[in-house]
Formats: sequence, structure tokens, C-alpha cells
Amino acid sequence: MQGISDLIIHYAYVPIVVTAGYALFVYKKLGHELRLLSWFIFFSALVQVASAFLWYQRMNNLWLLHLYVAVGFLILAMFYYAVLKGFISSRIFWIGSILFILFVIVNAVFIQGLYTYASHALTVESVLLIILSLSTFMLMMDDLFKTSKAPLVKSMNWINSGLFIYYASSLLLFYFGDLVAQLFSRTANLQIALVHFMFLTIMHFCFFVGLWHRPKN
Amino acid sequence: MASPQELNFLSGLLPFTGVVFLIAFGVVLLNQVFRKNLTRQKLKQEELKTVHHHELLRASIAAQEGERKRIASDLHDELGAVLSIARMHLIQLEEHSAEVQLASIRNIRTLTESALVSMRRISHELMPAQLESFGLVKTLEALATRTNTERGIQLHVLAEELPTLPWSIQLGLYRICLELITNTLKHADAHVIELRIVYRSSYLVFYYQDDGKGLPSSAIEGLGTTNIEARVSALSGRIVPSHSDGGGFALTLEIPLNNQR
Repeated sequence: MQGISDLIIHYAYVPIVVTAGYALFVYKKLGHELRLLSWFIFFSALVQVASAFLWYQRMNNLWLLHLYVAVGFLILAMFYYAVLKGFISSRIFWIGSILFILFVIVNAVFIQGLYTYASHALTVESVLLIILSLSTFMLMMDDLFKTSKAPLVKSMNWINSGLFIYYASSLLLFYFGDLVAQLFSRTANLQIALVHFMFLTIMHFCFFVGLWHRPKN
Repeated sequence: MASPQELNFLSGLLPFTGVVFLIAFGVVLLNQVFRKNLTRQKLKQEELKTVHHHELLRASIAAQEGERKRIASDLHDELGAVLSIARMHLIQLEEHSAEVQLASIRNIRTLTESALVSMRRISHELMPAQLESFGLVKTLEALATRTNTERGIQLHVLAEELPTLPWSIQLGLYRICLELITNTLKHADAHVIELRIVYRSSYLVFYYQDDGKGLPSSAIEGLGTTNIEARVSALSGRIVPSHSDGGGFALTLEIPLNNQR
């Protein structure tokens, strides 16, 4: 089990950093939508590196997760709004984002605390992103969307799949995180962390392929 | 009896059902929003297509009319002038010619005069000069007088006082009238044609009816009818179903007066 924890601690940032490197490499060739996704990848990489640094310094890095959830969701909401522009009102995104940020702040200050694992915020974030990604899949089947966003469809298929796979699986892990921590051994917790790492890698692999299939013109 | 551990697990699992329900509800709700916006966008796209189609039709008719005007003007100014000069020379020749040549020269003069009349008729049909100068009603009345004399039919034009109509409507309605009268004369065996134009505040109503035997399907599906439909469409008008009192052919058109150039 020591091997698993080492793997997660030392290599969790690798897929994120690789994708971030590629996003940086192609950034100038990307359209508005994929640039927003790149911001999310850059931010994830930054948080991952900062969290590893704090861990090596033996400092509590859980407050970073609260920040990651709030800012990450905001960027992803902007990304989805850019993709779905014309098909959904901006008001829905603004109201949804503001309410979610408020919830993250209230959760960090009053409910779970800043130095506690932000499982509530992560659960809500997962629910919102699952709704967005599933609805986007349904919209992507429509001919009008295929025509109006034709160059982006291939990339969106990969990116949306990555987000859906990661957040759908993470929902279970985040939701039952507290319960697992109470009921099961440290080994089971490490295995769950490994599964999370696997889904994180899958998501970033999907991002990588999505960026690879970026609109060429 | 469930153990405390099982109860603890269940208390976590049950709210999760709520979470799953929330996701499903959210997806359905968002999907409804998407469907609504998709329908709106599709309607907008259809509207744009129709506008584009009208624009194309208008442009094509305008190009056709422009070309007709050019040909009419060329015929009148160039060919007409040449034929008139030729006629004058022939008259002069007639005066100074011997008896032997006189008959031939007269023949040539008659042919030239006949060519001049045909040329003026074609030029007038291509682009009636009086439409521009005197307007639609006067031109239709002149057409009625000419048709009544030449074709032995009673063509009545009943029109109230009309405001100054856009050129596209005047020309469009004039061409439609010509097509309808040609159809009646060719196929209907009619004795009376009635043509009425009524002005409403925002649109014109145009009635046409004859007392003939109606039109054969070949004439209804023919190029003339297609032209009428195209012109009505280009004027953003519509054809209203109607019937003739005498059992003949009848047609009613409504042409809006706004958005016309």
C-alpha cells in the first residue's frame, strides 16, 4: 500500500502537467472555448504543484481544494457557456456560478472549515458538472448544434466525455468519502484515492486528445 | 435489526438517491431550455432562409426587368431610328422613281412600317413607358382599351384612387395582369374579364376574374402561373383562394405595401 500512496503523492501531477504543457504549446492556435479549457488545465496544474509543495513542507494543503473547487468551477462554467452560447441564457450561468461560489465560501467558513476536505463543495460541483455535461451530450446530437459548432464537435466530444467520466465517478468518491474514512481502513482509503487518480488521468487524457483535435482553421 | 454501522451506511446512501434525482431533474430541465432555444434558432434560420429566397427572387426579377428595359430602349432608339430613316428614304425614292420600281418600293415601305409597328409593340410590352409616367391604373386602362379593340373582349378595370405605389409593385402587378390576360385569351374562351384593385391601409387587394370555362391544368401548372407565383412571392404577397361568380377563372392577391422597394 505504501507503493500506492507513493505513486499518488509523487506522480498525481504528471498527467496534469503534461496536458498543461501541451495546452501551453498550442495555446495561440486555440479558439476562445479551448482557451478557457486551457485556463482550467493551467489552474489545475498550478494547484497540483502548490499542493505537492505544501505536502513536502508538511503544511495543511486542504484549503487549496476549496479554492480549486470555486475557481475551477467558475472557469468550467465559462467554458460551457462559450460552447453553449446561443442555446442557453447567460443568466442561468451567472446565477448558478454566483450561488455556487457563495456555497463554497459558506462551506469553507461555517460548515466544513477551510482546513478540512471540501467533500460537500466537491459533491455539489460534481452534480452541477454532470448535469452540464449530460445536457451538452444531448445538445450535441442535434443537427443545428453540429452545424453551428461543426469545427468544435470532435474536441467537445472528448472534453465533455472526460469531464463526465471524472465528475460522475468522483461524485461517488467525494460523496462517500467521509463515510469511507469512518468505516473502512486506511488501505481502503488509499485504494479509493488510487481510483480517483485513475479517473483524473483519464480526464486529462481526454483533454489532451480534445486539444489535439482542436479546430485547425 | 440493522447494526449502527449499517444504519450509518444507509443514512449516507439514502440522500444519495436524492442527489441522483437532482442530477436527473437538472438534466431534464436544462434539456428543456436547450430544446426551446433550438426551436427558436431553427425558426430564425427558416425566417432567414425565406428572406434570402425573397431577396434572390427580387434580385432575379430586377435583373430581368433591367434587361427588358435595356432591350426595349435599344429597340426603340436604335432599330426604331434606323427603320424610320429607311422609311423616309423609301418615301423620297417613291417620289422620284419610275412606275416599274414604284410597286416594289411601296412594298418595301409597307414592310418597313409593319416592322416599325411590331418593334413599337414589342418595345412597349418589354417596358411600358406609360407605366413610369402615368402609373399602374392608367396603364391598365390603356391596356384594356387596346385589348378590347384588338381582341374583341370586354376587359373592365375597376380601381379606386391609389396612392403612389412603389415601382416594384406597379411593375409586378402589371406583369401579373399581362400573364393572366394572356392565359384567359389563350385558354378560357371568355367574353368578359374583370380586374379590380382595392386599396387598404397597409396592403393592396387585386381581384381578377373571367367568365370563361376555366383554365386547363397545363395552363395552371405552366410557366405563366409559375411566373405569377414568383412575382407575388417577390412582392411578399399571397394568393388568396377565390372563385369566379360566372364559373370562370378567378384569382385574388394581397400585396403588402410596407417593405417594398
